[in-house]
Amino acid sequence: MTYVKWGLIALFWLLVAAFFHYTLPQHDIVRVTDTYEKRVDFGENSIFWTNANTGQAQGVPGRDVFFIQARRPNDRPIIYRNEDTGWGWPPYFKFDTANLQADAADLRSTQDDPRWLVVTHYGWRSEILSIYPNAVGIRAASGPDERVIPWVSIVILVFAAAVFWAIWVRWRRFRRNRIDPMLEDVGDSVAERRHRLRDWWKGSTG
Amino acid sequence: MAALARLIIFGFVALTVIYVSLSLWSRAVRREKLEERWAEKGRKGDREAFVRRGLERYDGSVRRKLLLGVYVVPICLVAAIIYFVNYH
Repeated sequence: MTYVKWGLIALFWLLVAAFFHYTLPQHDIVRVTDTYEKRVDFGENSIFWTNANTGQAQGVPGRDVFFIQARRPNDRPIIYRNEDTGWGWPPYFKFDTANLQADAADLRSTQDDPRWLVVTHYGWRSEILSIYPNAVGIRAASGPDERVIPWVSIVILVFAAAVFWAIWVRWRRFRRNRIDPMLEDVGDSVAERRHRLRDWWKGSTG
Repeated sequence: MAALARLIIFGFVALTVIYVSLSLWSRAVRREKLEERWAEKGRKGDREAFVRRGLERYDGSVRRKLLLGVYVVPICLVAAIIYFVNYH
């Protein structure tokens, strides 16, 4: 039973961590090698594509999606999708997809003459699921080993921790003051009744 | 625009839940403090009247109106995010 309990607690925190890891912005140092556009017909992985609804028709099976091809300083490739998040989740309120694609195309560079960029993105790359992180912003980097401090993520995580902590402390105080005494009362009266029953039984038989 | 309408409606409902719980909680805390102060001041006069006067003063206070920040802060935050993501 303890294993099940700790397993569930670990699973819960794993899900919370995965949620934040997927949603919070991350910064990559890359050089953009090319940009392209590809039709995507969403299937089982449709949850990993945005459903922006920024004026276009809804309920169509697929659409064209912008992609940005890039290479990390360690020469491994990374592909970003470039989609509006619109008014939906996650709350990046990104509407400037076409502008971002124009910037990315303008900042392309070759292996011989690399131009290092910081790409802000959220999401995961999974070759097995065919999912791509969504690029949110792009700017020039000072070099291939620039270190970006993720202030936005720090602020959001601290704020979320503070909110959870405040609610948790109040819930515990509420339970200690209101619910535990009530349960104890119930336990007491059950014990008392059992006691009385036993006395009566003893009295009538003995 | 359907997505915007959905965001506004759900956002408004969620923020209203937060606002109502916060204001109930804040009022309860204020009431407790007033009762403590009444006891500290030597338990003079009617306790209920003392607490009611204090709560009426609280209803008109800036502190009470600050709770409207529950609506104002997220709206400003969304506006700031839209600006920095799309136009900066």
